[in-house]
Amino acid sequence: MSEQISALMDDEILLEDAKHLFASMHSNKQSIDAWSQYHLIGDAMRGDQVLSKNFKQNLMRQIDMEPTVLAPKSAQINAEKMHELKDRLPVKWSIAASFAAVMVVGWMAMHQVQPGSQASAIEIASADVTEQSIPSEYLAAHFSSVPSASSYYIQSVNYAE
Amino acid sequence: MTHFVLARSFASATLIAVLLSSFNVHASEEGLWQVLQKAAVAARALSYKGIFVCQSAKQIRSVEITHMYDGQNEFARNVVLGNSPREVLNQSGNVVIYNPRNEKIIIEKRHGQNMFPAVLPVDLTSIKASYSLRSNENERVADRSAQVLVLEPKDGLRYSYRFWIDTEYGLLLKSVMFNNRNEVMESIGFNQLTLMNTVALDWFKPRIDHNKNYVMEQEQEIVADTGEPVDWEVKALPAGYRKVDQLIRKVPGKPELVTHVIFSDGLASVSLFIEHMPKGVKQKPPPKIMLTTTGNTSFYSNVNNGHLVTVIGDVPEATVVQIANAVVFKK
Repeated sequence: MSEQISALMDDEILLEDAKHLFASMHSNKQSIDAWSQYHLIGDAMRGDQVLSKNFKQNLMRQIDMEPTVLAPKSAQINAEKMHELKDRLPVKWSIAASFAAVMVVGWMAMHQVQPGSQASAIEIASADVTEQSIPSEYLAAHFSSVPSASSYYIQSVNYAE
Repeated sequence: MTHFVLARSFASATLIAVLLSSFNVHASEEGLWQVLQKAAVAARALSYKGIFVCQSAKQIRSVEITHMYDGQNEFARNVVLGNSPREVLNQSGNVVIYNPRNEKIIIEKRHGQNMFPAVLPVDLTSIKASYSLRSNENERVADRSAQVLVLEPKDGLRYSYRFWIDTEYGLLLKSVMFNNRNEVMESIGFNQLTLMNTVALDWFKPRIDHNKNYVMEQEQEIVADTGEPVDWEVKALPAGYRKVDQLIRKVPGKPELVTHVIFSDGLASVSLFIEHMPKGVKQKPPPKIMLTTTGNTSFYSNVNNGHLVTVIGDVPEATVVQIANAVVFKK
């Protein structure tokens, strides 16, 4: 299934032949995760052109401006509003595109909290044990700005795995 | 008498020979720089694939590389071979690293201009100022004939290098960095290499592990800092080093933003971090002066005028100490 989703993104499967994939993405959490992960990977590879630097801030600002949905019936109002908006958009597929982007950002935000807290705890612990070693925070900052030829493949000894 | 004449003519012959050979050495050193220049360009402008071995400190990795140049852009995919392969994709200096860590794959972004075999910059001007170049006897690397060039520092403020350059393609086959005691600090070299004749890009994507979560690396707050420093300046830098960048960044565990200045001699890079030490805030006091070397990385930190000054780089200890001492705070 994941391979087919990947193929769909690479235009190797025709949209008409992908109905079962869309159905699966609606019902299956694994498929929807695969869909958003492949977009994230693609975005990362394409570089910064896809999402502008202030994309997250702009998006959050726009979300703040949207009325909060408190009850399911207001979804209908939203649908009407969506219809209005749709006419103002240059092309129809941009809705799908922005939907995908929102999913990716949401998914990223969801996952970003845990690894950070875990990783920093490990770093501090290892720094305490070996006093004479180079503090990992400086090592990481140095190599992230000026990678040495081997630092692309071998992580520094102190850098928390 | 005969002896004297013989000795005199012998002396002048030697003198002429020495003069001639020194002229030769001078002329051929320029030729060697051209070989090095060609290697810098070939690494970027040729299309090739192979496997190289990267060795640093106590670790060894085998890396499978595919590199393509389509006339405008460079594409390279590097797969670190092993159980959970780390992948490094490079598109004209924009590097994305897929780094498996536990159950996740962390996506890290970097800007890199020195990925093997493109370890040399295309502009060798600043390297020429600080290093001299000589050639050794040819050797074989990855079953190919290679010219061996030795790049030696003119002073003790940088490491020396040995480069093996393919005599046919001009491509860098192997690069080894030595410290001042002539010990190997870092070694990267092909053990398989073939040229490619394709412009297809279907290989330029990471292999996706469907069972893992892909997570963006925590964003590091980095702001380009172009303004002149307010309360400090860097005076007498070690010879050959010049400032190439200045940033303001968040360093994990540091309450305040840290100024990060980057220096380079064209080949070696050094980072300088300057941070304010807040008064009255209880924190673990850092050692007043700390100098240490791990593998090929030297580290020095000291407290200067209420600031913590930290210098780190793949250079000898003397260089990090000199750069730290070049920081002068204005009263």
